[in-house]
Amino acid sequence: MFVTDIKKDFYDVVVNQRVALLVAADIDALCACKILQALFHCDQIQYTLVPVRGWQDLSTAFLEHKEQFRYFVLINCGANVDLLEMLQPDDDSVFFICDTHRPVDVVNVYNDTQIKLLIKQDDDLGVPAYDDIFRDEEEEDEDGGDSGNESDEGSEPSGKRRRFDEGAIERRIERQRAKREWEARRREILFDYEQYEYHGTSAALMFFELAWVLTKDTKDMLWWAIIGLTDQWVHDKITHMKYVSDIATMQRHVSRHNHRNEDEENSLSIDCMRISFEYDLRLTLYHHWSLYESICNSYYTACSFKIWTLKGQKKLQEFLADMGLPLRQVKQKFKSMDVTIKENLRDVIEESSNKYGMKDIRIQTFGVHFGFKNRFLASDMVHATAALLESTEREENDTTNNFISALDSLSRSNLDRLNAGIELAKRKLIAIQQTVASCICTNLILSQGPFLYCYLVEGTPDVRLFSKPLALTLLCKYLLKAFVHSTRNKRCKLLPLIMAAPKDVEKGTVIVVGIPPESETSDKKNFFGRAFEKAAESTGSRTLHDHFDTSIIELKTEDRSKFLDALITLLS
Amino acid sequence: MSMFDQRVPRLCWPEAVSRFVSYRKVNGTALGSVQNPLMVRFRFCVFQEDGVRQVLQEMEALYEQNQADVNEAKSVGRADLIPSIKLRHCCLLRNQRCVVAYLYDRLLRIRALRWEYGSVLPANIRFHMSAEEVQWFGQYKKSLASFMRSIGGEEGLDITQDMKPPKSLYIQVRCLKDHGEFEIDDGTVILLKKNSQHFLPRWKCEQLIRQGVLEHVMS
Repeated sequence: MFVTDIKKDFYDVVVNQRVALLVAADIDALCACKILQALFHCDQIQYTLVPVRGWQDLSTAFLEHKEQFRYFVLINCGANVDLLEMLQPDDDSVFFICDTHRPVDVVNVYNDTQIKLLIKQDDDLGVPAYDDIFRDEEEEDEDGGDSGNESDEGSEPSGKRRRFDEGAIERRIERQRAKREWEARRREILFDYEQYEYHGTSAALMFFELAWVLTKDTKDMLWWAIIGLTDQWVHDKITHMKYVSDIATMQRHVSRHNHRNEDEENSLSIDCMRISFEYDLRLTLYHHWSLYESICNSYYTACSFKIWTLKGQKKLQEFLADMGLPLRQVKQKFKSMDVTIKENLRDVIEESSNKYGMKDIRIQTFGVHFGFKNRFLASDMVHATAALLESTEREENDTTNNFISALDSLSRSNLDRLNAGIELAKRKLIAIQQTVASCICTNLILSQGPFLYCYLVEGTPDVRLFSKPLALTLLCKYLLKAFVHSTRNKRCKLLPLIMAAPKDVEKGTVIVVGIPPESETSDKKNFFGRAFEKAAESTGSRTLHDHFDTSIIELKTEDRSKFLDALITLLS
Repeated sequence: MSMFDQRVPRLCWPEAVSRFVSYRKVNGTALGSVQNPLMVRFRFCVFQEDGVRQVLQEMEALYEQNQADVNEAKSVGRADLIPSIKLRHCCLLRNQRCVVAYLYDRLLRIRALRWEYGSVLPANIRFHMSAEEVQWFGQYKKSLASFMRSIGGEEGLDITQDMKPPKSLYIQVRCLKDHGEFEIDDGTVILLKKNSQHFLPRWKCEQLIRQGVLEHVMS
């Protein structure tokens, strides 16, 4: 059931209890976890934090901790599946789920006792009405009662009995017909409801609002909430409209926090954290890189210029010349760029990019500023933390280590880790750009009819980076956009993309990701979750639907072709 | 001992003691394959019984030689033996200082172990202590315990906890290795799995932090 008053129904319930936090492995969840941890530290609520990567991890963690804890808080996991059936908890376990995955499973919505959803109800959920999907048990008893009556009446005179029989049979047939109709309608309603997968309000935002209601919000928590929201935008989980409206909400909080210090004569010390609204360029990591590199490796500019072609390179040079930026300045580190150039850089770039067809080069976001040299945009932090979370530096089975280092990098005191994350993110972006360039140039993207398909072969450089879901999703997004810009086939521009990359060489599995088609007004609804399930069932392929996003699965390499064929037939 | 026969005595350290002079280096490296972090931190190693015995033997030998020479010098009146007697005496004194320093330093380390680690030492540390040291440790424990009982009213006060003023009741800790289940005061059991984070009362965690199972996380 949905929690209406988050303070009363969630926080006051756990305030004297010990809580287990089960946190999924994405940046939004990490930020939400940090906010919740800070709140728990304030009120000294004892907790245990367990990172979980998928459904199997979640079940294991639950089994290990179910004797010791009664209250479980699940962050970014658990809403889109029937949790009680999967975990089989005792009757007194209570789950608080704050998850962005939609659609929320109907059992979770209508369970009153054990499942509490920390989700805003005005999030256009479209949950079907209770009566449409759950049928009361009384109808069944009537049937039984009727047949009981029948046998009782057996001793009556035959004439009357025949009349009663006919009436009874007719009623029974009518009831069965109504029941079949109802069930068909129910299947249809559920199919429509669960067909598309999408994301709702960021979990970090939810917990920040909880902190605000408790008036325990700090600038750190606000910054984490902003990072959580930006993560949803960077990894393409929410629509642009929703992002803009959530940014407006955040802007109100930011101005509220900044307002406190404006009046004083002596302003805050330089080491204090300042968050400011920025209408900044969409060039990834450009403050920590050189402008040229950033333009070449941000998907927006790279795809608009088609930088993998010679013509594209020339266009880029023209663009820079048009703005009057000397190549030497543009290629050196942004921090050492000439101050006179940096002053009006954003406006100059915006003007020029309008001429080259890039209308939205600027995006509303926030930046943080503390100390003399520490200045980060929210998207910088998202990329750095994502790179740390999925770093392949050390060997596998180290995912919890990555989780811990990513969690640490969000604190302001761990700047060296954040900088390490930024370096990893740069390498990741360069790898993505090179892979995109090679895929487009060698025509690796094939149109399979209802969708586009691309497979990264084992020997591709940096293919290990793409065995992780977030990195692969980013690559998919860039690749689709690049393809849309470079193809001339009008029909192909509206197709979704499925991408497969090797995940585990010894076990012989690939990771398959599907993303919806690229369009300006896309509502980011993904139907691949259900499609993958059905295709796997029908072909008997060995798949593992372990990830919380149902559109990301693991598949045995040998079953790839029959799985694809099944998908093609399913979707055409 | 060859240096101390009738030839001109050479001025050099006795062999056994020179080995002792570098005992710090010996103590510094963990002998054997034990990698107990406490031992590495305290640089506590096996009691060098052999070494001590050799020094004592050497001292005995020097003393006897000295006795003989003194008697000879007194009876025969050979004054040229006096410098070698003095030399041997200096060596004896030095040997004594070194041995006493060694023993005393070990005692100080054992005492620090009680404060850092608690009253029950793990088997591998006890293995490195000689019998007398174990006895001394037992007596020190008793003396500390009776002192703690005498202060702080009826139940006594455990002064080995909270060596630095605590900043908060609960601290955030991260588990560095699988430690299994851990029970805290109100009976609840926590599963300490690698890389899980917990928010626990400070006094329960201190022991585990010293053991290296948990790590205090400051955010």
